[in-house]
Amino acid sequence: MTTLWRNRRASLLVVLVPTVILISWKGLIGQLGGTGVLSNCITVGLTAIGLMGYTNMIARDRDKGIFQRLRVAPAPKWTIMTSRLAVQLLMIIITTVVLFIVGYKFDDISIEARGYLFGLLASIVGGAIYLSLGQIIVGLIKNPETVNVVTRLVYFLFIMIGTFGETGYLGPYVTNAVEWSPYGTVKDIISAALEPSTWNSHSSMALLVTLGYTAVFATFGIKWFRWNTR
Amino acid sequence: MNNDNHTSQTTPVLQVDGLNVYYGSFHAVSNVSFEVRPGEIFGLLGPNGAGKTSTLSAVEGLLKPQSGNIRVAGYSIREQPLYARANMGVQLQATSFQPELTITEIIQLYAGIYGVDLSKEQVASILANIKLQDSANKKYGQLSGGQQQRISLVIATIHDPQLVLLDEPTTGLDPQSRRQLWVRIEAMRDKGHGILLTTHSMEEAEAVCDRIAIIDHGKIIATDTPQALIDSNRERPEVIQASRKGKVTLEDVFIGLTGTEVRS
Repeated sequence: MTTLWRNRRASLLVVLVPTVILISWKGLIGQLGGTGVLSNCITVGLTAIGLMGYTNMIARDRDKGIFQRLRVAPAPKWTIMTSRLAVQLLMIIITTVVLFIVGYKFDDISIEARGYLFGLLASIVGGAIYLSLGQIIVGLIKNPETVNVVTRLVYFLFIMIGTFGETGYLGPYVTNAVEWSPYGTVKDIISAALEPSTWNSHSSMALLVTLGYTAVFATFGIKWFRWNTR
Repeated sequence: MNNDNHTSQTTPVLQVDGLNVYYGSFHAVSNVSFEVRPGEIFGLLGPNGAGKTSTLSAVEGLLKPQSGNIRVAGYSIREQPLYARANMGVQLQATSFQPELTITEIIQLYAGIYGVDLSKEQVASILANIKLQDSANKKYGQLSGGQQQRISLVIATIHDPQLVLLDEPTTGLDPQSRRQLWVRIEAMRDKGHGILLTTHSMEEAEAVCDRIAIIDHGKIIATDTPQALIDSNRERPEVIQASRKGKVTLEDVFIGLTGTEVRS
């Protein structure tokens, strides 16, 4: 937690980007719906947390030998990663709650209480997909600078294709691909969870696909991961 | 520097027996056996790629050897890794701590990991002991190399382990810091810790080690006290050829035994 606080500028940026998008998209609420706009912004926040926060933290700690130092201590290996995942879980909760508040205050997006609760749970489930995607990136790439560049590129791609893809401007093929991409499925489950009465078979399928992506990414991410950069 | 009174007739804190490490078909460590006794500084010397780091990594539990037994304070590193690690303090060659944490926080964090309860006064006392009391609130990343090494050494011994592993602890330090670290390592030895030290500095090995093992091509080729190694090898033609200014040093013996070829 101290690490999170000391790196608060980076953490603030993670929250700030979706917050700015949320405020600036007030005019799109009529077209996409309040939960549509909110779920998009939460997904952007989750992408940033998983790809930039978690991935870069792991890449840096591995490069500096912090993992190796912890591995020779009398603590099980799983606790090393769990402590880092716990920090990201906290960031997911903070980001989601901040966006709920901003959505309510600035965009007049009002949701029933269970919508907020299910939305938060869906954010946590959706966040796992980006954490596991980040795990694949640090599994494949050892150099922290390269990890930083790649995560920024992937983040940018997700935001651009995710947000513009579903508008239909990029054609029906892209729209369909985005819908079943990690961005689209996460956005769908959050959107449906925010408005539980709209949860349907499509939402359930999106949830299954999200869990599937997470399982595949996590499996390969863990398999390819090395504790040191040598 | 020898400490024979301390080390004789005591159970080893580290026993390495028939250790074999392979990287694919490359046999990096071949049937290596040695032991470190309490109150002893044991040096593991070898050229680059000789098998030092692989041996040390196996002892630390960072690498799984293909065969062999390693026991730390009687605990098998393979079967009881947490107990073995709890009795081991480690200063890794390329270790760092979280640069955004202050040194007080780092000491408290690692004390917690090792199950040591430290009061604020105790932390202050530890920092005063390594002359870093004025840097208590400095972040680790702001310390000099010598200061970082002192912190690293403090953390390696924070839980009063029976075995301390030091992987090239004085690399990159100026002569003053190096001498200061030697004094600290000797103080640890005098407290009864068994110390396994790897170094490329023959001067360091000769100055602080009670016994030395020279490893080359994955095999231990000599084990003895520094002086005994010099005495038993001074007549070898390769050692005489390696000696300069007529006096045989440990470095001459090392070069004589491992060759003059530069290893990658």
